[in-house]
Amino acid sequence: MGQEQDEFADFYRASRDSCLRAVTAVVGDRELAEEQVAEAFTRAWMSWGKVRKHAAPRAWVVRTALNLGVSWWRRRHREVPLADHDAAAPACTSDGVDPALIAALRRLPARQREVLALRIFLDLDTETTAKVIGIAPGTVMAHLSRAVAALRRDLPPANTSSNATEVVR
Amino acid sequence: MNEHDEVMCQVRESFSGLRMDMPVENVFARSRVRRRRRLSGLTAAAVAAAGAAAAITLTSGGLAPALSGSAPAPSGTPSLPSHGPAELAAFSVTNGPGDSTTLILYKGPKYPELDPAALREALARHGIPALVTVGTFCRSTPEASASLGQVVHPSTLAGGSAMVIDGQAMPSGTRLSIGYFQGHVRMALIEDGASLSCSSTSDQPAAHVTPSNTPIRGQQ
Repeated sequence: MGQEQDEFADFYRASRDSCLRAVTAVVGDRELAEEQVAEAFTRAWMSWGKVRKHAAPRAWVVRTALNLGVSWWRRRHREVPLADHDAAAPACTSDGVDPALIAALRRLPARQREVLALRIFLDLDTETTAKVIGIAPGTVMAHLSRAVAALRRDLPPANTSSNATEVVR
Repeated sequence: MNEHDEVMCQVRESFSGLRMDMPVENVFARSRVRRRRRLSGLTAAAVAAAGAAAAITLTSGGLAPALSGSAPAPSGTPSLPSHGPAELAAFSVTNGPGDSTTLILYKGPKYPELDPAALREALARHGIPALVTVGTFCRSTPEASASLGQVVHPSTLAGGSAMVIDGQAMPSGTRLSIGYFQGHVRMALIEDGASLSCSSTSDQPAAHVTPSNTPIRGQQ
């Protein structure tokens, strides 16, 4: 148990930021993403025997977090319904991230956001991304191209020449 | 893929400041609570039954819930009023599961209005500092760094709502803000000494107040 715990702790520390960024990019709300990622890591630990053997454990966490959905989070952490006419929780923002980028991401279809997040923040290649999402590799490429094209139209050009050497698979 | 790199790097860079501060110990704690609840076979119905049982005291006319808006009578010291109609409690606060505390809020017209002071005192007896308000909800600025999800695990019951509160997961210097509305409850962790933003709606705060001057209906 101690060794497994240490192993999971290492995994958690190495993965939590990238998982949070990936989920935030998809859901567009940092607070919501943090709750969902925390719950997903809890489930990962509870099923660590299985998750540790997964081809991409971080992707398992991200997919689990995304599958939890907004309704789960509202139900569990923001409001406790006492009757049938509950008011909705207010939308939150993703502090620390350029609002223009969040807005541009929100305009993308959910599947495109998901592909983008897995490729950018988890560094998954096309094949693994396809397996994780359950679509064909060609479809991953198509989603990625459309997402990048849309973001290129929506976002101001980057002025970060130092990033030009960074390579994304 | 090179034509994608610039945009993808821009996105990556924009998110680079986003970090998850929750320590791994919190993950282990959450799973322990979950496993304990599974092992003990604790269900929402059981929580409701336990809470209701604790809230009920015997009267000469039969079973009657505890006094309105009050915490349940301590076990072993049932109140025995000889007269008067049965009154229902708006809430109950009980020990368990494990080291946690279970708060149940009952709903429906037959239940009395929540007494925020009584609830605050009942939670305090279980080591949970709270700000309880009725018809308004308060957040602190800045917000507490800890996540509410690490502290409160709510579930809906037929007769109300149960919240398992892990008081030990509350960082020192924080309190649980409970805003009780007709039909729902809103909760947050707030920092002691921080300014409070209180709202009577689900939208923007209706008032901005300081801890030393809190013009809200409720008790700190």
